Amino acid sequence: MKPGSASRYRIAVDIGGTFVDAVAQDVTTGELVSVKVATTPQQPTAGVLEAIVALGIPLDQVEVVVHGTTLALNAVLERKGVRTGIVTNEGFRDIYELGRGDVPFEHMYNLRYEQPRPLVRRRDTVGVRGRIDHEGSVIEDLDEAGLVEAAGRLIRDNDVRSIAVVFLHSYVDPVHERRAADLLKEHFPDTTVSISSDIAREHREFERTSTTVLDAYTRPIVDTYLETLEEGLRGAGLERPLLVMRSGGGAMSVGEARSAPLMTVFSGPSGGVTGGANVARLSGRDRLITFDAGGTSLDACVILEGEPTDVFEARLDTHPVLIPVFDIRTIGAGGGSIAWMDRDLLKVGPQSAGADPGPMAYGRGGRQPTVTDAALCLGYLEPGELFIDGRSFSLELATEGIRDQIATPMGMDIRDAAAAIFDVTQARNLGALREITVERGMDPREFSLLAFGGAGPMLGPMLAREMGIPEVIVPSEPGVFSAWGMLGADLVHDVGRSVIEPLEAETLERLEAVFEEMERAATASLSKQDIDPEHCDLQRRLDLRYDGQEYSLGVRVGSGESAESIRSRFDAAHLERHGHNLDGAGVEIVAVRVRGVGTMLAAALTESPERSGTSHRAGRRTAFDFATREVVEFDEYLRADLVPDDHLSGPALVRDPTSVSVIHSDQRFHLDRFGHIVITREEDR
Amino acid sequence: MIDGGTVEVIRHYFVSTGEQMRRTLIQTAFNAVIYEVHDFGISIYDGDLQLIAEAPGIPEFLGANDYAIRKGVEHIGVENLEPGDVALLNYPYWSSSHTYDAILFAPVFVPGASSPQAYLAVRAHWMDLGGKDPSYVLDSTDMHQEGLILPATRVVKKGRIDEEIMDILRFNSRMPDLIIGDFNAQLAAMRVGEQRMVEIFEKFGLDVIDQAIERIIAHGESVARDAIRALPDGRWSAEDWMDGDGITDDPIRLAVTVTIDGDRMIADYSDSSPAVPGPVNLPFGQTQSMARTIFKSMTTPQEPTNAGHFRPLEVIAPPGNICHAVYPAPTFAALTTAVGLELIHKALSQTLDSVPACSAGDMTTFDLTGIHPRSGELFSISQNEGIGWGATKEHDGGNGLQHPCTSGMHNTSIEVFEQKAPVIHERLEIRADSGGAGRRRGGLGTRRDIRAVTPVEILAMHQKTRTRPWALQGGKEAESSAMIAWPGTPRERALSTERFDLEPGESFHHFAGGGGGYGDPLEREPERVVDDVLDGYISVGAAARDYGITVAADGSWTADERRTAYEQEGRDGQ
Repeated sequence: MKPGSASRYRIAVDIGGTFVDAVAQDVTTGELVSVKVATTPQQPTAGVLEAIVALGIPLDQVEVVVHGTTLALNAVLERKGVRTGIVTNEGFRDIYELGRGDVPFEHMYNLRYEQPRPLVRRRDTVGVRGRIDHEGSVIEDLDEAGLVEAAGRLIRDNDVRSIAVVFLHSYVDPVHERRAADLLKEHFPDTTVSISSDIAREHREFERTSTTVLDAYTRPIVDTYLETLEEGLRGAGLERPLLVMRSGGGAMSVGEARSAPLMTVFSGPSGGVTGGANVARLSGRDRLITFDAGGTSLDACVILEGEPTDVFEARLDTHPVLIPVFDIRTIGAGGGSIAWMDRDLLKVGPQSAGADPGPMAYGRGGRQPTVTDAALCLGYLEPGELFIDGRSFSLELATEGIRDQIATPMGMDIRDAAAAIFDVTQARNLGALREITVERGMDPREFSLLAFGGAGPMLGPMLAREMGIPEVIVPSEPGVFSAWGMLGADLVHDVGRSVIEPLEAETLERLEAVFEEMERAATASLSKQDIDPEHCDLQRRLDLRYDGQEYSLGVRVGSGESAESIRSRFDAAHLERHGHNLDGAGVEIVAVRVRGVGTMLAAALTESPERSGTSHRAGRRTAFDFATREVVEFDEYLRADLVPDDHLSGPALVRDPTSVSVIHSDQRFHLDRFGHIVITREEDR
Repeated sequence: MIDGGTVEVIRHYFVSTGEQMRRTLIQTAFNAVIYEVHDFGISIYDGDLQLIAEAPGIPEFLGANDYAIRKGVEHIGVENLEPGDVALLNYPYWSSSHTYDAILFAPVFVPGASSPQAYLAVRAHWMDLGGKDPSYVLDSTDMHQEGLILPATRVVKKGRIDEEIMDILRFNSRMPDLIIGDFNAQLAAMRVGEQRMVEIFEKFGLDVIDQAIERIIAHGESVARDAIRALPDGRWSAEDWMDGDGITDDPIRLAVTVTIDGDRMIADYSDSSPAVPGPVNLPFGQTQSMARTIFKSMTTPQEPTNAGHFRPLEVIAPPGNICHAVYPAPTFAALTTAVGLELIHKALSQTLDSVPACSAGDMTTFDLTGIHPRSGELFSISQNEGIGWGATKEHDGGNGLQHPCTSGMHNTSIEVFEQKAPVIHERLEIRADSGGAGRRRGGLGTRRDIRAVTPVEILAMHQKTRTRPWALQGGKEAESSAMIAWPGTPRERALSTERFDLEPGESFHHFAGGGGGYGDPLEREPERVVDDVLDGYISVGAAARDYGITVAADGSWTADERRTAYEQEGRDGQ
């Protein structure tokens, strides 16, 4: 942001499957306000505007609104994008439909596998003459007349509204794609055109085509949505920018988002990870795992030295996308996971009751008990407690479900059956957390766990004690933490390009011009978004691999850094990630990347004012303690009544507006100076 | 007795241990065949060598370690195993695969116990162990042409690596760094598994673990038995033909007789050809895995595998049969499983309408090697082409998918291929009309045209270019695979499994087969036929010939007399 703004508030708004979460922070005091409203699937902008209005903040005093949207994601999941065509090389129009030929892992033993229909019908694909080889030499000129004629057929006869242009090896030289884009825009001004070298200038033709198709398929929809939303906010009095959260961290202007819709696909979960990275940096934790447990899913991401781990390829449903994203893994299920008897074994999930009908305790027709029902039977949730829509949890319904479907068949009492549901849920989550750390050659015991989402603070502490994780952090407002994370997003612009060259001094000399060109592009994009060029941080990165490998590792490089120095950094990164180096092998550059970061007013964690005294206990209630596996008296607190640095012992329940932290009898906890609940082991005292 | 929640918790711990071993292997492996193609299999056994969890990379390694570890432990003698020992096994008749699949296995000793409480096995494809030719061996006539043999040899003894044995490995491989690197990756996976297993035993105690294992396996067995019990009793046979053994072009018969008797199934391959001179013979364990893949798909496709799942299945093949190779029969290029896999389906299709028609029944693989003109170095790259899958009663077969034996693998990107090999692709397209016609249409195969820029050697590997993939319930057979070298020249030749050279400017056309059709094509809904024509999946000619529908350019259509009569007959018959 340009300095000099007198604005007082920042707002973040995050659309999830069920709720729109909005938070506002008073920049002068650090004070937070949050609201949740129901999503409005028919007209998504309505729910967003409603949430913002419900915050009760005068919009003319708002400095920025950051938005996490699932619109592009939903358009693909629900196949509601626009009719899209593909223009590619003659003889290769099936690259998109054929893909890589792999059957998804979960269908490994399914010989009756039904292949999903591609987003683009085969009749909407055309090949035109023209070919470039892997070194960028034009071995056949582009047939311009043929291109216009073929695209015209798609647009006029097939009613195609958006066209993806992808030519082989365009990552080396995009000349044919750029010429095609010019011709199409000239002849068909009403048709959206996406060219692969603009969207993902990287090798591997299927993945690049898939990315370009998704861009073409969603762009008109995202464009309209963001335009409507921005108009709505202007009408409501917003004078300052609307930003959109990016999947790989950071935010971008609405203008940028309208031209690059794929950058928004995972923007919701990325808010939680961005928030996690801020917590890690500001509170000085090197290794942190975000543990975001909601009603339907449980997502985790590893944060190392304040940086979330990221990747440059993701999957959107079954479709690969070459975009930078945080390496977020769905590792299990949330409160809605269904418990059921599979003969004599107790299973939890993979089916979820979701939000509708939801757990049996919601009384909306759920017929199978869930983790949330078990939580009620274990005493962690308050029966009669209100949800957002005014209904309340029913202990009777939860108890009945667990008794009839789990406890009686297993010959157990209800509490033990509910505890067994937690045990099985935990065994799944525990394995998954080990897996995402062991694949980096690390041990989860070296990490802190940042637990948020509706069920995170309940499941996180028991998981930590089982795994030997020394510390769980429950941030303030855990129910809207993803939205809070968005408040701290920087403006980011990524530029990347495949360049297949040996890592040698001579190559680096040649690439200097490429880096500089990309840096200019990043700076230009950020200045368009109001960032002063002097405040742009430009980060260079090379994706490298040993000769013969297909996949690569990214290494940050300095301007003018020597090949030897880069090589030794790559060797070190490879050793850390893979446990070995290939000393004799050559190293190849696969991609050149630049990230431009425009620093906004970073969302600082606000330190609570010094307070002394003892925390006020709200009451006591009996609940199940996993340390002793008995029902015992738990102390009950409201977070607001905890005094910073007052160290307390479990068993205890600490309540937030939409979640509860469950602390067992072998654990201790305190509120730190940022207002986080920090849960540690009694033995570490 | 322990409760069903505790059993499930322990089961998750075992499954996750396998998964952690898998990720460690992928993370530390040296060769791309392991970390990208996933040519590996990981298994965890109890002290009685019953499978309790596994993490295979591809379907055809399902349970493949079971046979191997029994033979391996028997050879060493369980009384001779000590904590920290790790053995290496690639003797094909025991290892259940060809000689380049190296299995490491190890006992897990829990402190205080005198005999192993568990075993771990990690199998992975190694790039070279000194076979007669680089890359694949296509024409060996006995095992000794297929590389160095390790018959369950302890390469790690009481935790110490035997460097003399490692030297033997190094000096017998054309790519010593890669295989030693992969050995270390397998060892790292083993160490992670061992650590977790000891933790699990210590956490729950031997007695609880024993009870849990018994319950897990009993549960698996009862699910599988119930699934088989739901099928009709009887006995059905089926046969199919593969191209040849790489030595002669004589077609080879594969046959199975499937018996369902209450809650058990027997797959008997005794009527298959005797063992043949070339390297397409199957070790018995591989035949067992082939049968298990289909059995699992029919009984417990979504469950992590344990020994109970296979208890209702008996696999028979007499020694000396092509499905039960004995020393010194060659086994290196056993694409036999690609043709043999779906035979059980073919047999059962005589009584069940739920099995799919055949896929193209071929892995349609080719490798390119040579000296790259730019680097001056040897290159080697392979392509696993997608094939059509068989149609089912409900839906059309998939287009251009990997063979069901190796369904998680990927084809190689054209752009990556052209960076690594001096060739230019001239086409990659879906082959119209290659899927068998039917009420549900077989999936379509692909066509790939490649031209050499500088000299290259090609290893073509096919087993189903001379017979067609079978159809079901009145559907039509599909087009077969084909590899045509020097197309359009006087030298044009159709090849199956062999090596050939291309000079600059010469080319080959590679055709992957389609899947079989399901049901009478005259019953296919006209809208689907029209859609297929508009999308170019079938030609206008095929629509008229196979489906009795004439489709005009604008999508309008008319039914011919044959179809009208067929429909009339159907109405009259009702």
